[in-house]
Amino acid sequence: MARIELRNIQRKWGEFWGVRDVNLAIEDREFLVLLGPSGCGKTTTMRMIAGLEEPTEGEIVMDGEVVNGVDARDRDVAMVFQGYALYPNMTVYENIRFPLRMRRIPPSEHDARVRRAAEMVELSEFLDRKPAALSGGQRQRAALARAIVREPYVFLMDEPLSNLDAKLRQQMRVQIKYIQRKLQITTVYVTHDQIEAMTLADRIVVMKAGAIQQIGTPDQIYHDPANTFVAGFIGSPPMNLVAGRLEGGTFSAEGIRVDGLPDRLGGDVVIGIRPEDCTVADEGHLSAEVFGLEPTGDVTYLTLRAGDKLIEVKADRSYRVPLGSGATVAFDPARIYLFDAATGERLR
Amino acid sequence: MPKAGTEEASDLDPSARGVAKAAPQQPARTRFRRRNRRLKRWFPYLLVAPAVIYLMLITLYPGVFAITQSFYKVKFGPWRPIGFANYARLLGDYQFLGALWNTFLIGSISLALQCVIALTLAFHTYRDPWIRGWRIVFLVPMLFMPSAVAFLYKLAFLDARVFSDILIRLGLIEHNLAIQSSTWLSRAVLILADVWQWTPFLFIIFVAALQGQDEEVEEAARLDGASWFQIFWNISLPMMRPVIVVALTLRAIDITTMFANVFIITKGGPAFGTETISYFIYRTGFRSFDFGYASAASVVMLILTVIVAQTVVKRAFVSARS
Repeated sequence: MARIELRNIQRKWGEFWGVRDVNLAIEDREFLVLLGPSGCGKTTTMRMIAGLEEPTEGEIVMDGEVVNGVDARDRDVAMVFQGYALYPNMTVYENIRFPLRMRRIPPSEHDARVRRAAEMVELSEFLDRKPAALSGGQRQRAALARAIVREPYVFLMDEPLSNLDAKLRQQMRVQIKYIQRKLQITTVYVTHDQIEAMTLADRIVVMKAGAIQQIGTPDQIYHDPANTFVAGFIGSPPMNLVAGRLEGGTFSAEGIRVDGLPDRLGGDVVIGIRPEDCTVADEGHLSAEVFGLEPTGDVTYLTLRAGDKLIEVKADRSYRVPLGSGATVAFDPARIYLFDAATGERLR
Repeated sequence: MPKAGTEEASDLDPSARGVAKAAPQQPARTRFRRRNRRLKRWFPYLLVAPAVIYLMLITLYPGVFAITQSFYKVKFGPWRPIGFANYARLLGDYQFLGALWNTFLIGSISLALQCVIALTLAFHTYRDPWIRGWRIVFLVPMLFMPSAVAFLYKLAFLDARVFSDILIRLGLIEHNLAIQSSTWLSRAVLILADVWQWTPFLFIIFVAALQGQDEEVEEAARLDGASWFQIFWNISLPMMRPVIVVALTLRAIDITTMFANVFIITKGGPAFGTETISYFIYRTGFRSFDFGYASAASVVMLILTVIVAQTVVKRAFVSARS
């Protein structure tokens, strides 16, 4: 069992709020991702779980026991750092073995456990090397092996993939998820990359400026965003957000007019529409100048300029149009999200 | 919209347009300056030449002079060539061998103490928010003139017997400590003076080395369950090894040539018990006026120092790299 609860967690540095009012329950064996832009408090939250940082206020509870004030070395958490943090003076083997030595695990078990962990991350051939002689991906895997070797109470991963190239990142994502499922260890994973969050998480916690914006499964976060921040942060390219006025079920902004929206709402609103819910058509809601066209092979991203707003549209892979010409786009009214213009909160 | 932005900017910016048009108007002769190759090659040597010439005058010339002199019998009168006789005499001179032994003994004990103390202090202070203050406080002994420190210790332990007095007042001993008549106590005073003055040198270097250590690595080790001491022993110390070796080598060279303290505090006594090589050379040259013999001793010492320093540094760096 490994259930972690954060109750009213605050972290202040002088007048600066690093983390405020975080309430969160991490379930046993769950893969939880803390997602947000840099400076949103996600790493601080994780460091407080690790015990590397003490909350200014609030309680951290592990299996019903408050662990505030318990030193990092006594919490039995394993962490994978962004910079890998391997011990440069030791070989990979010694690196992986280090936590076993420090935790007084009988030396007779060491060799088997180190080799099993190394095998799990496909690092068996490199055990004699020092970290300096490894590639970035291998270092990352060595750090991962060091974390899994002692089968800790909880895994913490602080942007472990951000120093890898795109292809390697995709491979490591799959591997990390596989290992987590196999070992069934509660995992907290910090990232600013929404694709990592979507692909890895059982649940995502979206954070901004030290506060939680939304907690939910990847599907909930994607299809049912709580506010404009979440809507604009998730998705690649992200959701189009256009401010305008809603009256009698009709939304109007510069160059855009959409009918058929709920007529019980009104006033200044922001509408959100995902690029994949827009289609290029002869007749539609928006006609504007083509500002950009990015063919990627399997899909073509079309950028339209309406007033000072840029609208992203996912078009067919064969769609081509010269820059500066005009295009017309239709939205699926059922897939339009409405947000309050002042607060950014979702209107339902 | 970065594309449109930059295009507009360059269209509107008159200076950008001016540069673009002015370039072709330049005579087609050449855009690139060609420098004199010979000058380029010799210029660095030219820059260091004054320092090199100066250094040669004050070190190389006396060095060569001493080596030459070591093959002669020199006592005021004309030089008399005697081949390796001075060196042969050194090998059988119990005072010279004693001085070698004393230098080694005093030097190694003093160095070991300094290293341990400096490491301990550095490890306890390097993440301290007041480290700047600590550094200044610990630096103070190093700022004293060595001869002044020597006189202080002479006063405290020998002439004014401050140390003895304190021990008597505390009731630990009954009579004055006869430091001057005890070889070991005299050596201890020399060691103490050196440790007091030069531990800060090592401390400052060690603090710098520790501060350069990746903090993430320390945090990783903490999460792996290591105590502060285990982090120090398993990670910091091995990583600091090359720095420690270089710093200790520098100190060792300094201690080997220890002179001021011996000259002022003990004068090599009692019974040559604290006579270091430097003091032996001084005594032979400037008291017995046996210049050729003194030069031979200096040459031997120089060779020993170079050999020891070379092997130590080489070893440390090879093993740190592999």
